[in-house]
Amino acid sequence: MDPVLPDYIVELAATARRAFAELGGVDLARQAEADPRARELAGDALAALGALDIDPLADADQALAALALCREAGRVALPYPLEAMLCRHDGAVVVLVDPADPLVDHADLLDPMLAVDLAGQVHHATVAGPALGSRLGPFAVPVELQPHDGFADVDAPATIAWALSSATVLGYVEGAVDLCVEHVRTRHQFDQRLADFQAVQFQIADAVVAASGLAELALFTVWRISELGAGARVDALALRLHAADVARTAMRTAQQLHGASGVAEEYDVSVLCRRVQATLRSPVSSERNLDTLTAAIRQEGFASLFPHGRERVST
Amino acid sequence: MDFDFGADADALRAELRSLIAAEVPADFLGAFTDDPNDLAIAQRFCARLAAERLLTLAWPVEYGGRGGSVWDQTVVREEMWAHHEPRGAQYMGVNWVGPAIMAFGTDEQKALHLPAIGAGEVIWCQGFSEPDAGSDLASLRAKAVAVDGGWKITGQKIWTSYAEMAQWCVLAARVGSGEKKHDGITLFLVPMDTLGITVRPIASSLGRHHLNEVFFDDVVVDDNAVLGGVGNGWQAIRHALAFERVGIARYARCDRLLSALEAELGDGFDELPHAVRASWTRALVAVRVARLLAYRATHLQAEGTPADTAASVARIAVTQADQLVAEALFQALDSSSLRDKASGAVLHGAVEDHYRYAQAATVASGTIEIQRMIVGRSTVGRA
Repeated sequence: MDPVLPDYIVELAATARRAFAELGGVDLARQAEADPRARELAGDALAALGALDIDPLADADQALAALALCREAGRVALPYPLEAMLCRHDGAVVVLVDPADPLVDHADLLDPMLAVDLAGQVHHATVAGPALGSRLGPFAVPVELQPHDGFADVDAPATIAWALSSATVLGYVEGAVDLCVEHVRTRHQFDQRLADFQAVQFQIADAVVAASGLAELALFTVWRISELGAGARVDALALRLHAADVARTAMRTAQQLHGASGVAEEYDVSVLCRRVQATLRSPVSSERNLDTLTAAIRQEGFASLFPHGRERVST
Repeated sequence: MDFDFGADADALRAELRSLIAAEVPADFLGAFTDDPNDLAIAQRFCARLAAERLLTLAWPVEYGGRGGSVWDQTVVREEMWAHHEPRGAQYMGVNWVGPAIMAFGTDEQKALHLPAIGAGEVIWCQGFSEPDAGSDLASLRAKAVAVDGGWKITGQKIWTSYAEMAQWCVLAARVGSGEKKHDGITLFLVPMDTLGITVRPIASSLGRHHLNEVFFDDVVVDDNAVLGGVGNGWQAIRHALAFERVGIARYARCDRLLSALEAELGDGFDELPHAVRASWTRALVAVRVARLLAYRATHLQAEGTPADTAASVARIAVTQADQLVAEALFQALDSSSLRDKASGAVLHGAVEDHYRYAQAATVASGTIEIQRMIVGRSTVGRA
């Protein structure tokens, strides 16, 4: 039992954080919404970090490296389809979609695409139009799905895709909570720091507990996937559910404690809370995720101290 | 990074489960019931654990342990809590009183107390809270005055678990007064049969033995009753509470009950309302998260890193998961949740017992508000 991240993963995360800061941090997300070509800067930075050579399914070290990079990308809402670039199968990137309204973030940068839905069906996906350009989905691109003929074993890439999207959400959460802590430390009202009000401290504490728990769950889940590949699908769905639950509450807190600044675009927290929605809501809502997870646990079990599921699977 | 406890720990877990299956009746709900036989079961079980050196597994060999790792101790902790704590009140001595004596005690205190704790022969209680000093523990008023060869202690403690059955008490009292509230707080190791100590049980929804008042009227103890030096009590209390907060593996009982009730319901589980099954799933995930946070705090403690904040983070997650699970289980039982062991409850009343006990989870060992204060303050820092 060793829950410690290897030093070189910590170093990789620190290097990525510096690289993204040099690009302007959250400002790059703002720029990319005004001019999508700014996304190339993110791609170049990731290439320089060696990110696009990582195969998260190769071994635990590369899985952790992928998690670390997605986490750092989330902290600044990096405008680039990093998760998709990391999840590959047979020369194509693997993306997760909702067949009812297939939208893929930055799909215009992804070709060819294999799209997997919640039921595990595999499709070919091609760009079907321009990005939505909406406030909550500025880079969400409609795609057209075609049945995939033959067999494509994308279960493992799809499993790691669920986990890496959750790692990105973790980054958003940690970024927002850090901004919130900084804000309440420096903002004064009624002649004292906001941070000195107990009501504020309690909300911060709950957000920190939630973010800490999500971080531990993300590490554990990525380790499980590195051990079991697609056999850890239930774990990936559980992480995805928890990431969405935590993001909704902790990021709401971060926004609330900023007051009106929380919805002002010049404040990074506003951009993070807005941009996380594309990762949170797509391909499906957390409640649909929950339904799938509940059925999967019943069928396949849930690794724990005691057996869970119909088959009483003890892992 | 590796979350696998390894083959040795797996073997230990299997050994403990075999031992529990052999020694503890299936309908055992802990030592603190109205049936005195339950305490006898726990005492017999402790003796058996001690004989195998499993009670204080992670203690050094010289103190009666096996020199096991904190992860071995974690396995013991999880299995004991999962199975309604057949160590009875021993976990307190094993989990933090013993380690506190190891850290702060004299050679004489170590020789007197550690073998007895390791053998499972002694029950400890914790004399911290007072009527006007609960969460604000440093406001305690129990007073210790120097007398010839020792100390005379006067005061009242409240909410003291196991006081009726304990042979020893770790008592916090104030010696003199200082500039700060924490000044002068001193820990004393006091035999519960000392003249002047009176225990009064407090009726509670938790059941017997969980809550008591303890009165100390001119209780005289020797100089060697002081643990860690006069005025150094606060440091020892903080050390102890961090261990206690991580040591209560409520998540393990949650895990076992979710498993057991699902098995009991069989195909009926699929007939539960959608919302109940959904809350069940969220509860399972919350239990996993709580367990992982407990492991993080355990790791930091083992490394010797200050773990106050991590312990409080884990404690918040564990106690909230406990209540989430209690509600999910009760939602599945509908009106049957009102039945207890005596009136034919499912799983011998284990779910009903868990629900009542869980209601105090966010109060015991420091309220969730205190944990939030610790986490909040450490996060935002001082002005």
